Amino acid sequence: MQVFKAMTRVMRKRLLSAMIYIIVFLVISVFIANVSNKDNKFELTKLRICVFDEDDTPESRALTEFIGKSNDLVELENDRDTMIDALYYMQVNYVLTINKGYAEKIAAGDTADLFGSYHIDESYSVVYMGQFLDEYTTSVKAYLAMGRTMDEAVAATEESLSQETQVDMLRVDKAGNSHFSVDFSMYFQYMPYVLVSAVMIVICQVLVTMSRKDIRFRTNCSCLRDSEYTFQLFFGSGLFVLGVWLLLMIVGAVINEEMYSGRAWLAVFNSLIFSVVVAAIAVFVSSFEPKDNVLNLITQILGLGMSFLCGVFIPTSMLSGSVLSAARFMPAYWYIKANNMIADIQPYSFEGVMKCYGVQLLFVAALVLLTLLVRRVKYSGAAIGTSVKKAAVS
Amino acid sequence: MFLHILKYELKNGLRNKDLIIWLILFPIVLGTFFKIAFGSVYEKTEKFSTIPVAVVETAENQAFRQVLESIESADEPFLSASFVNKEKAEKMLDDGDVEGIIFSGDKLSLTVKEKGIQETMLSAFVKQYSVREKIATDALTAAPEKAQEVIAALTGETVSSCREIPLTQGNPDIYIQYFYNLIAMVALFGCMTGMHITITNQADLSALGARNNCSPAHKSLSVLAGFAGSCVLQTICMVICVTFLAFVLRVDFGDRLPLVYPAAILGGILGVAFGFFVGSLARVGEKAKTAILMTTTMLLCFFSGLMIGNMKAFVAEKVPWLNEINPAALTSDCFYCLNLYEDYDRFISKLITMAVITVIFIFLGFITSRRKKYASI
Repeated sequence: MQVFKAMTRVMRKRLLSAMIYIIVFLVISVFIANVSNKDNKFELTKLRICVFDEDDTPESRALTEFIGKSNDLVELENDRDTMIDALYYMQVNYVLTINKGYAEKIAAGDTADLFGSYHIDESYSVVYMGQFLDEYTTSVKAYLAMGRTMDEAVAATEESLSQETQVDMLRVDKAGNSHFSVDFSMYFQYMPYVLVSAVMIVICQVLVTMSRKDIRFRTNCSCLRDSEYTFQLFFGSGLFVLGVWLLLMIVGAVINEEMYSGRAWLAVFNSLIFSVVVAAIAVFVSSFEPKDNVLNLITQILGLGMSFLCGVFIPTSMLSGSVLSAARFMPAYWYIKANNMIADIQPYSFEGVMKCYGVQLLFVAALVLLTLLVRRVKYSGAAIGTSVKKAAVS
Repeated sequence: MFLHILKYELKNGLRNKDLIIWLILFPIVLGTFFKIAFGSVYEKTEKFSTIPVAVVETAENQAFRQVLESIESADEPFLSASFVNKEKAEKMLDDGDVEGIIFSGDKLSLTVKEKGIQETMLSAFVKQYSVREKIATDALTAAPEKAQEVIAALTGETVSSCREIPLTQGNPDIYIQYFYNLIAMVALFGCMTGMHITITNQADLSALGARNNCSPAHKSLSVLAGFAGSCVLQTICMVICVTFLAFVLRVDFGDRLPLVYPAAILGGILGVAFGFFVGSLARVGEKAKTAILMTTTMLLCFFSGLMIGNMKAFVAEKVPWLNEINPAALTSDCFYCLNLYEDYDRFISKLITMAVITVIFIFLGFITSRRKKYASI
């Protein structure tokens, strides 16, 4: 097993950079798992709202308090730049000014120009709060028209606006029956980037080193059989990929706080197939024997490219149709598609998931064939003869 | 002699594959990915557009139909309804064609797929309908004689109670800041070219360094020429990067694009100065220096928001002084100020800070790289 031993020695040197990717991924995953909310019940979105009360009357204070009941009130300095910063970085969703004279105007039934809203764009929050304020003032006006006093009108408005509405989720037991919650699917969703980066960085480097001219010639003139050499190379690479995958699966089970069950196994199997795809990509890339800096660039392009185009970093629903049609030619697209189906983000069907597995395996087959082709052309007698001639001439 | 060294420094730099890969190709590739991924996220998630909704009528509800029709007749309607049966509606919701299904009958109910602001708005709309119903019932039971007035107050044409005050004319898309940070990253990558000045002038680090040290050219002159060469190369990279983002990817930098270039170039020179300083600081090998510089650069970019969008706001809240001295944050802040602020005060103050930090790095770089003796190498 000399080849295998030599491989592990090279691997050890590169392990640190691979571990950085894996550790950062795991730390972020643990963090996300801790803050995520596992149940799938509908909740209203709470906005972060800053209120400048220029009127400062019991009526305006009542409104501020009422807004604070279903939203988070945030304090800001009343300064243009501070507001722009807070709105831009979404520290605040809405900045409201209750204009001076609010109480008097509303008591007189005049609802025009009661508030001012500072904004940087016509966002959903701006439209939503605009509608809310209109609804609030219209209701107060209606109760005042009934002959109620201001206090009563405000109290009655708050009561009617606090009614519960029936809102159902399309699939209530998303997490319950499938044993694979949307939150946990995030762990599997980000995995392709880590697998590509960590596996490529190590495997490519090792394979490129092993096929360096002097090492290859030395191995070729040893008594080791070609098939034995290839077997040891594959064994070493496979072992590493399997190790990385197994580590991710074990930590995944720990983060999920239960052993995989039900549909989660499909996701586990999906990630195993994707690991094989990544290994095939690594073997293919390394057959071109790229230099260190070029290899780093290829790794980054493949990792980031697949992640951005196929829905690893950004949900597929956010990507445009043309991007997704281009992404179909990349294995990560099918991995993510299967993962989304398993998590019920897209409609689930067993056949659909199997189809995604199948396409990924086809990628493996295509990559293996291409690798064989490249190696045959590169290492054939004719090619070596040409390179020897070239060397002799120079 | 200065021009001679400068010429070779430039020739050397332009033939350096690392420089072409990491300062020109990588930003182009990453910028393209950013554009593909973040190009339409803001439009889809933050910027208001009509919310599509499916309506399933479980029983005849003429009044609700009328409400929907009057809403849809507006210029920019809040929602657009399609009346379908339950199966079709669920399919539409699943496929993402609509944001929710309103079941209209004696009572209204809503079914959604996700939790977000659009769904909250739909729920508020459904609630609004029952609020109006309650007020009308209250009026009929408590003061039937005033019912007409109440209904007039509820249904009358009302002007909006809220006046909208736009704060800026700039591009409010938060995802643009990934591009700002990409430029900041390229600027800081200038440290790699900056580091090479010391590598080629330190006799124990490279053969070229040894050769340079025994040449009759004054050391300060050769270092200065090296620094000027690096600055020129970095300027070329910054110009390519900004031009690619602004004209090929069509990233909207606001209406002051000509000022983005000098800010980016100053950021690049700051990067070179940073590399020059770190490079001359310690007598460690090239690999160790590269590792130190790359780690620091990525860390600075992380705190400036290259990996997480609103990191800078988080830092501003917890450790505000970090944003004032972090070169990556300073560079990306320049673009942010140009885009969103009407005046130039903060932009100029950022530029001055960057210039001061650059001068400090250059000064310290010269101090630490002078008078190095090599007894044996």
